[in-house]
Amino acid sequence: MKKMLLVAAAIAALVPAYLSGQQGGGRGQAGPREVVVGQLAGKPVIQPVVRGVDYRDAINPNDPAMNGPVPRLPDGHPDLTGPWEGGGSDNDMGVEGGLKPGELDALLLPAARALKAERSKAIYGEPYIYCLPMSVPRINPYPWKFVMGYTSKGLQYVYQLHETGDAGAHRVIYMDGRPHPNADTLIPSWWGHSTGRWDGDTLVIDTVGYNDKFWFDAPGTPHSEQLHTIERWTRISYGTLVNDFRIEDPGTFSRPVDLRFVARIVKPNVELMEYICAENNQIGLAGGYLKPGSPGIAGGAPPVGK
Amino acid sequence: MRTTRGFILTALAVASVTVPVVAHHGFDTEYDSNKTISATGVVSKVEWTNPHMHVYVDVTDAAGKLKTYNLELTSPNAIQRQGWNKNDLLAGEKVTFKAHAGKVEEARAALDSLVKVSAPNQEIFKGQRPD
Repeated sequence: MKKMLLVAAAIAALVPAYLSGQQGGGRGQAGPREVVVGQLAGKPVIQPVVRGVDYRDAINPNDPAMNGPVPRLPDGHPDLTGPWEGGGSDNDMGVEGGLKPGELDALLLPAARALKAERSKAIYGEPYIYCLPMSVPRINPYPWKFVMGYTSKGLQYVYQLHETGDAGAHRVIYMDGRPHPNADTLIPSWWGHSTGRWDGDTLVIDTVGYNDKFWFDAPGTPHSEQLHTIERWTRISYGTLVNDFRIEDPGTFSRPVDLRFVARIVKPNVELMEYICAENNQIGLAGGYLKPGSPGIAGGAPPVGK
Repeated sequence: MRTTRGFILTALAVASVTVPVVAHHGFDTEYDSNKTISATGVVSKVEWTNPHMHVYVDVTDAAGKLKTYNLELTSPNAIQRQGWNKNDLLAGEKVTFKAHAGKVEEARAALDSLVKVSAPNQEIFKGQRPD
């Protein structure tokens, strides 16, 4: 047991050593709590190491397979299936997306800043913990995957499935060339309306029609129904998937926001498992913030988005 | 297998000291990290439910009063991925546990460690407390 502890301690020591390796400084080079995980368009891909994802199911970052070739689909496009861990926001979208602390908040319009301040004070305010969808670009410590939906006409749909965080729903990205519906007919929804296309080896997803109920991260970074997102997903190696994420929301931010998230492939034997969040949600009961049968809590009414 | 699993869990437990773990709701919001409950009782129910797993233990105090502890763990998926299954702990088994008390509802606690009285050196669901 003592030997086991020593070896385990050595592994634990190596994890942050790896994560903080290859340090540099300034934009384009990794900082003290960042790591270069590969190259994209001739520039280093940097992953901040301040986020909450612990990659508990991902392959070891030192596994040579991480830097192996990108698998291809029969039609020649990169296989983006995964499953993956990471690749989105959770505790602080700006920092997790490569910005400096506070940089994202500085772009919030006054009303949005006030809303975030109000949300940050609330205990158990975020819809996600009441088993409502996380939506874009949230992730959590559990695996997720893209499902490439082929029909006789080729790739017609891409589905995004999170093991947890979808509230039992799925996100569909239309790959059949259809446009978005007219803005005045779209009913705002949790996942909005997503269309996708290939730009070389990059899957580009354009989404409009979001509701304003989900939070971008746990502190409550907000958005409005004017939200328009553009995701550029590029698998740069066997083990690494880059999500270049643009937010355009003139109802919330003073200018478009560009973020970069990085996902890591999970171990070969990890599959998405069933997860029905509303089955027995007891959040808030131990702390006395909620009572049994409260909306969104075990035995209570369905949750309501805020 | 058991040794391998123990090693992996130990490595993860040690690693968790230095690598931040996600928390969309803080552990300390619900539980008192400084208040540890230790008791021996009989498992009345094992819930492999989402979003988190729960183990209920009936504990009878010296005065004969029965109290049921609702011990929260992490998600059943995460626990299964570490190799545990439904046969590792069953209703009716006598166990000794340690848990962090709920801040208000003390008996709705976060499991820290649990062993069967019949196998006191073998921790069940090690390292699987709620995050």
